[in-house]
Amino acid sequence: MPESTAETHVDINSESDIVKVRKTVRDLAAAQGFGPTDVTRIVTAASELARNVFRFAGTGFLQMKQYEEGPRRCLELLFEDQGPGIADIEQAMEPGFTSGGGLGLGLPGAKRLMDELELDSVPGRGTRVTVRKWMNSSQKKGLAA
Amino acid sequence: MSADSISVNRIREVLLVTVPPEPDDETITMLQEKVLAAMERHNARGLVLDISTVDTLDSFFARTIIETGQMVKLMGGRTVIAGMRTGVAITATQLGLVFGHLLTALDVDRALDLLGES
Repeated sequence: MPESTAETHVDINSESDIVKVRKTVRDLAAAQGFGPTDVTRIVTAASELARNVFRFAGTGFLQMKQYEEGPRRCLELLFEDQGPGIADIEQAMEPGFTSGGGLGLGLPGAKRLMDELELDSVPGRGTRVTVRKWMNSSQKKGLAA
Repeated sequence: MSADSISVNRIREVLLVTVPPEPDDETITMLQEKVLAAMERHNARGLVLDISTVDTLDSFFARTIIETGQMVKLMGGRTVIAGMRTGVAITATQLGLVFGHLLTALDVDRALDLLGES
């Protein structure tokens, strides 16, 4: 179980809220101790996911959680909306697939930039995307590579 | 960040645009229109996009830059992306962005060199 949790909530109702999401995520990730490159990765992933919420659902929110599990620190971002949902999740995770006229990099890109991504969607009901970044995990990956 | 904050400067036959640090989608879209109008007005032969203050280059922003480069090319100009930060370069690559035919330079000076101005 997480030892300590801090939560932050950001509503996504307009295009300018995407900028607000980026700023909030940047400040919290940096304060939590992530290095500049990881902060950029996390903020970029958040920007993709916030834009998906706004573009496909119109409104939704971001719930950020910061917690520690033993020696590891985690930043968790949950994006939730009650939009049209995703009919084919496998297809949505394919790089280059788009239903919104974009590059089709949002979901697969966010997955590559973060350590974990969970996608939960019911067509007609909404979508919930959870991404996590663990501190030091990139260093561990670097050693393993 | 409003669209008014984008400045388009002309150095001889090259346009220099400094992209604001945290542009919203509307600003990015305005930037494209502003650049293309300036290309025509100044009969420019090149464009330098200075992104050295940009911390977040997501797929929307990248797509607009790539498209702008293609449009500038159709108008007979070359586009150089200047000053991409380390973290942005790493993130853009991992995100899967492909910048195609756009030229890149470490900073504005080298970008101008690349376009034959110094």
